[in-house]
Amino acid sequence: MSTFLQVFLRSLETGGVYALAALGIIIIFRTSNITHFAQGSMGMFNTFVVATLVANAKLPLWLATLCGLCTAIVLGCLVDFVIIRRAKKVSPVAKQIITLGLIMVFVGLAPMIFGVDPLKLPRFIESGDLDIFGAHLTYNGLFNMVLGVALMLILFYVLQKTKMGIAIRTTASNEPVARLMGVPTRNVTLFAWALAACLGCLSGVMIAPTTSVTPNVMDPVQVNALIACVLGGFQTFYGPVLGAYIIAVGTNLLSFYVDSTWGGQLMYLLVLVFIVFRPQGLVGKKFIKKV
Amino acid sequence: MDKITVQGQTPPSNSNPAARAFRNPYIRYILFGVVIALLPLLAKSGVMPSSFLVNLGGVLIYSIVALGLNLLLGYSGLISLGTAGFMGLGAYISGYLSGTVGLPFLLTVLIAIAAAAVIGVLVGFVSLRVAGIYLAIATLCVSEILRKTFEELDQFTGGFSGLTAGYPTLFGFKLSREATFVLLTAALVLVMMLTHNLVNGQMGRALHAMRGSEVAAQAMGVYLLKYRLIVFAIASAYAALGGALYMHFIKFSYPAVWILTLSLNILAVVVIGGLRSIYGTVIGALIVFAVPDLLLKRIPVIGGIDGIAYIFTGVLIILVVMFYPSGVVGIGHDIKRLISRGRKGGAGNG
Repeated sequence: MSTFLQVFLRSLETGGVYALAALGIIIIFRTSNITHFAQGSMGMFNTFVVATLVANAKLPLWLATLCGLCTAIVLGCLVDFVIIRRAKKVSPVAKQIITLGLIMVFVGLAPMIFGVDPLKLPRFIESGDLDIFGAHLTYNGLFNMVLGVALMLILFYVLQKTKMGIAIRTTASNEPVARLMGVPTRNVTLFAWALAACLGCLSGVMIAPTTSVTPNVMDPVQVNALIACVLGGFQTFYGPVLGAYIIAVGTNLLSFYVDSTWGGQLMYLLVLVFIVFRPQGLVGKKFIKKV
Repeated sequence: MDKITVQGQTPPSNSNPAARAFRNPYIRYILFGVVIALLPLLAKSGVMPSSFLVNLGGVLIYSIVALGLNLLLGYSGLISLGTAGFMGLGAYISGYLSGTVGLPFLLTVLIAIAAAAVIGVLVGFVSLRVAGIYLAIATLCVSEILRKTFEELDQFTGGFSGLTAGYPTLFGFKLSREATFVLLTAALVLVMMLTHNLVNGQMGRALHAMRGSEVAAQAMGVYLLKYRLIVFAIASAYAALGGALYMHFIKFSYPAVWILTLSLNILAVVVIGGLRSIYGTVIGALIVFAVPDLLLKRIPVIGGIDGIAYIFTGVLIILVVMFYPSGVVGIGHDIKRLISRGRKGGAGNG
């Protein structure tokens, strides 16, 4: 029982990271109709900012993270302002390719600005273990879990209850009509890109201490977040979050109880089979194509 | 590079037999291949550094793979992000069978193609149920499963440390690097001809109809399942062929090569070069895979900076998508039209 709990708690921690990245992807998808392949790369870039500030300027981690969030907001706004806003007439497939171009720009910029050596990023809380029914959980893990869940709750509150949230949801459901109704859709997309960049940065700062900060630190997060979006369905904001936790828990449980080497593949295979039988995702509605 | 664009255009005269032969698309593909196959001579004579050959060989390989994706994305409108996985599959099967088992090179390539085609058919079944971005990520799932399998099956693939292979042996001859380059060219020309035949025949029309409207295509008697399965099988087979050739030309393969970034790069080749264009795909491959290494790194000050190649490709992709959505293959045609319009305008005034 205690090992099960241990595995479960660990997966909740990684699930939170995937969920934050997936939320960024889904917000961009809903407001700009773009699958954001560069979510991971932008997160990686801002994680580099944080790691450099910690390593070279000797800033405490929380201050460095705040600075990282600021650059994330600037970068997100810049991407929307310079590129996405001007690509309204581009076909949907080509729009995805734009984000692919962004990946390359950020992967190229990172070594240019921050050097080629991998950097180390400390944890928020360096030491300390918590004992829950025999399962060990570091304070840092608990902090990440709580931070992730708190952020998501705040975000859902904003989406459901505030004026900005209503604007985002209106833009998501029908952009031209939203504009006709007087919703400032340009500001909404600007906000969405800044928010997605922040979420990417946070997921990067959370995942980085487990490895080192390199240009491909976010690759697994990106892939899992995309798969989480498909599993949860692209139609709601909470579907991908659910999908992210399911993927993290499922992968870890399968690796632990079924087979340590084939757990990951098995999980992806299950997701694939699930999509075949329920193409619209876990909580999505089915769209019927009209001729 | 100039030669490629020149041959992509229609020659002005059609009266003499040489020009008429030149208009035949097959003869043009062969001429194109001959020109490329002469490149090793340039390298031998010292006009071109011989290290260029490795890059250009890579371009030929990625062109083959991208032609497969162009069939999917350009002609049938199906997005796939699984290209890298199928390419890796081809590389590992061919590399293992020719290295450890000792089968002849051509047989290993055929087995690799067959295996990838079978998995491609399975993906084709999935594509009947899901569409658009869901399909893209479903294929990404397949690719990730394959990549993780490469990591874990280390008795076949060498795991993280990778698998090595030598230049291919063909009919008892051990090929050199230059000869392998010619082999790559031959493979590319064959694939180009095959693709030309496919898209200009009955299947091409069916795919066009499917892209326009699935329902309308069905009403016209196009059997969706059949064509979806065929087109996915062909795209996977091209990818596996490219992978097998990669294994025997680059001679080294490890799991970190076959990741999402490679699939995205090949997608970029198709979009930059131009959807539904065979020569455009080759030009796209040249731009994405060779220009950064061959040109940028040689510019004195800028070339020394780390990561400049990535930034160049990235910015180029964004610019092409935003301002030239039909791909760079249309540029020659557009310039021609601009010039002729200018002439006509001049004549009208005079």
